[in-house]
Amino acid sequence: MKQFDTVRLRLLGGLALLGAGVVWIALFGAHALRTIRRSEAAQVATAQRSGEISSGIETSVLQQLNAGQQYLVTPTPEWRAQFKEAADQSFEFSRELERTRGLTIDQRLTVNRIRELQSSIEVGYAMAHALRDLGRDDEARVWANAVLTPAGEITRAVRGLTSELTTNARRAEQSLAALTARWEAYLYLGLLATIFGAAVVGYWTVSAVEEPLERMALAAERLGGGDLRVTTTGHMPFEIQLLSDTMRRMAERLRTIVREIVQESDQIATSAGDLTSISEGLAATAAQVSSAMSEISRGAERQRVELDAIGGGLEDLRRTAGELAEAAERVATLGEEIETVASRHQNDVASASGTLLDVREVVQTTSKQISQLAEQTAAIDDFVDLIRRISSQTNLLALNAAIEAARAGEHGRGFAVVAEEVRQLADESARAAEAVTKTTNTIRDQVDEVTATMAAGMAKVRGIEEIAGGAARGLEAIVAAVTQVEQAAGRVSQVAQQNRELTARLEERALQVMSQSVAHASGAEEVTAAAEQQGASTEEMAATSGQLLQAAEKLRSAVQGLRV
Amino acid sequence: MRHGAQLALAELNAQGGIRGRPVEFVVADDSGSDDAAVRVAQQLYGNPKVVAVVGHLASGTSLSAAQVYGADPTPLVMVTPSATSPDLSGVSPYVFRLCPTDIRYGTALARFARQSLGARRAAIIFGSNAYGRGFRNTFRSEFAALGGKVVEEDPYIPAIFSIEPYLTHLNREGIDVLVLAVEAGGAEMTLRQIRAVGAHWPVLGGDALAGIEAAGDVAEGIQLPAAYLPDAPGARNSAFVTAYTKAYPGERPDSRSAGAYDAVKVIARAIEARGADREEIRDYLAGMGRRVPAMDGVTGRIAFDSSGDVPVKEVVIGMVHNGRLVTERTR
Repeated sequence: MKQFDTVRLRLLGGLALLGAGVVWIALFGAHALRTIRRSEAAQVATAQRSGEISSGIETSVLQQLNAGQQYLVTPTPEWRAQFKEAADQSFEFSRELERTRGLTIDQRLTVNRIRELQSSIEVGYAMAHALRDLGRDDEARVWANAVLTPAGEITRAVRGLTSELTTNARRAEQSLAALTARWEAYLYLGLLATIFGAAVVGYWTVSAVEEPLERMALAAERLGGGDLRVTTTGHMPFEIQLLSDTMRRMAERLRTIVREIVQESDQIATSAGDLTSISEGLAATAAQVSSAMSEISRGAERQRVELDAIGGGLEDLRRTAGELAEAAERVATLGEEIETVASRHQNDVASASGTLLDVREVVQTTSKQISQLAEQTAAIDDFVDLIRRISSQTNLLALNAAIEAARAGEHGRGFAVVAEEVRQLADESARAAEAVTKTTNTIRDQVDEVTATMAAGMAKVRGIEEIAGGAARGLEAIVAAVTQVEQAAGRVSQVAQQNRELTARLEERALQVMSQSVAHASGAEEVTAAAEQQGASTEEMAATSGQLLQAAEKLRSAVQGLRV
Repeated sequence: MRHGAQLALAELNAQGGIRGRPVEFVVADDSGSDDAAVRVAQQLYGNPKVVAVVGHLASGTSLSAAQVYGADPTPLVMVTPSATSPDLSGVSPYVFRLCPTDIRYGTALARFARQSLGARRAAIIFGSNAYGRGFRNTFRSEFAALGGKVVEEDPYIPAIFSIEPYLTHLNREGIDVLVLAVEAGGAEMTLRQIRAVGAHWPVLGGDALAGIEAAGDVAEGIQLPAAYLPDAPGARNSAFVTAYTKAYPGERPDSRSAGAYDAVKVIARAIEARGADREEIRDYLAGMGRRVPAMDGVTGRIAFDSSGDVPVKEVVIGMVHNGRLVTERTR
């Protein structure tokens, strides 16, 4: 729908309307004029022609009558020919009359009647002439007189028809006048309609264009004043809508751009600040770098000196390594001697160990016997102990029998003496037991002593065994150690050789390093120079970032006036 | 003419009519009078059931009626089988004819008179009407062109009962041949009076004399031009002649009945193609031979030029012999 609401279409529509109106008026006018002209021409022609025809018929009929009469008086071929010619002419006219369009039936019948009368006249005279030629004049006169009646009638008929046709023409003219008046009214109506239509379309177009244009102008003014928030709304024709849309998009784009500018200038300001601080940091760093570099160059110098020292050290090392190799060779020789001696001692130790084993067997058998003896003494102890318990009980019984013999008085004296005797015996046995105990204890002590001695002997034998074993193991260990020593000595001499080569290479490297460190020192000097240059650039950068900051400020102040 | 038309109608309706509807004739008689022709034409024109006219027979009546049929607002087609006047050519877009014009007939007759009969002096008795005048003019100019001379031209109207003075006069003048450019009635009277005056000229007639053989003895020997003769060759024609003689015992078809027969068939074809509408029929007929195919009829090939005339047809000279019109060659 929006596509059709355009100024172009409105204008075209208006023009088309106007054009159509004008064309209609022109066509209708032309048609009317043409119709009037044709009708007029036709009417005039009809009137003229009917007049001509009627006068032609009258004239030719009169000529016919004249020639016909003349022939009767003086029968010459000229009159005859003239008569025929007049007759043909009059028939020609009547034929034309018949062809007239728009005749009523009565008029057509009149035309027929005229033709009949013409025929009568023609035949009448033809007969009269034939009779005249044959010399039958009376008959000829009768035929000739008979013609007079139709001659009079034909004139009347022709005149009547002509006046009717004229009336027809006049009537047609009147109807044409009425038609013309009606067409005139149509023309005026068409003209008015066209003017009105054009005015309506014009007003409609102007009003449709004017108001949106004013709105557009206002918006444009505001846009010029820096207000980028303008929009033109409301109904408007398509082209103006396009313009408005374009303006709105332009403002939007401007708005976006200004916003971006503000953001960008802020960012630039920030970046410039950052840049300043960074350049300051850089300057400091550069200073550090240059001091570090001078240290580096000093260090490189020191390195060179130290490397010189290393060169000397390495020379010593080489020498030492050579000595080491010789010592190792000596160790190897020594080891071989040790091995020989150790194997010899090993055989001696083995035979000693065999002797010691025999001793240990004897001691063991003895200590077994002694142990049995100790067990036998333990059985004596048990017997003594039994005796002691019997003596104590006997003693107790004797006591009790003495007491009882006392109470039994005289009767018991004999008894008391026995009891006394028993008691003494008991005591005696107790004493004997005591002596046995003492003896066994002494034996036991001696056994213990022998046992301890035996044990000590065993221990000693075992100690000798251990020593002998230890000696054997020690010899083995010595042999193994010597082998290892020999291997080690070989390795040492190998390593010493490698060491010598290594040292030689080290020396070479040390020389290289030395030259490198010299190069380092000069590089460090260059770096220092560069660092100094960097410092200068950084200062420049700092100055530039200050300018940048100022520019950003200026930019921001420039767009500050615009409302977004 | 009516019989020819009715034979065609009977055939059409026997086949179920046109578009399933029977065809009906409104028969009207113009009596050969221009006045009656105008009145009859007015009646037919005013009858909305009439969609086409077969007729009229004569040139004068056809010319009078053509003006009535051709008028607005609802012009009516007329197809004449026999009106020969050259004036009829193009007189109205609604006029069609199936016969040649007098220009053909008159010329053919003049040649016959001059070349076959060797006549030098001829006289013409002509009807004082469109046909008679037209035929007279055509004959005269062709005869003169061939070296002959028309010594007398005498007008005739049916109102007179005797042309004895003309004939006596001609007899005294002396002529080689007498041409009758009149209708059959006038011709019959003339033939009788020729005998009465004792003349023995060879008598030639125009095509309007078709059917004169019915007049009997007086008509014997008269010679006239025709575009159609019942003894013409062709299966179509013989079928027509057979049907005609069967339907109307004792009659033989002539150029007018054959033309009427064809006229009905032509109109029927137009209605079949376009419907029973006056304007559609006229449009169909006007296109025959160009927009729509031509039709082969009893009288020959039927198509129409822009004047409503059929293409040139061969004109033969027939002679009344033993009460029958036969072709000169077959005599």
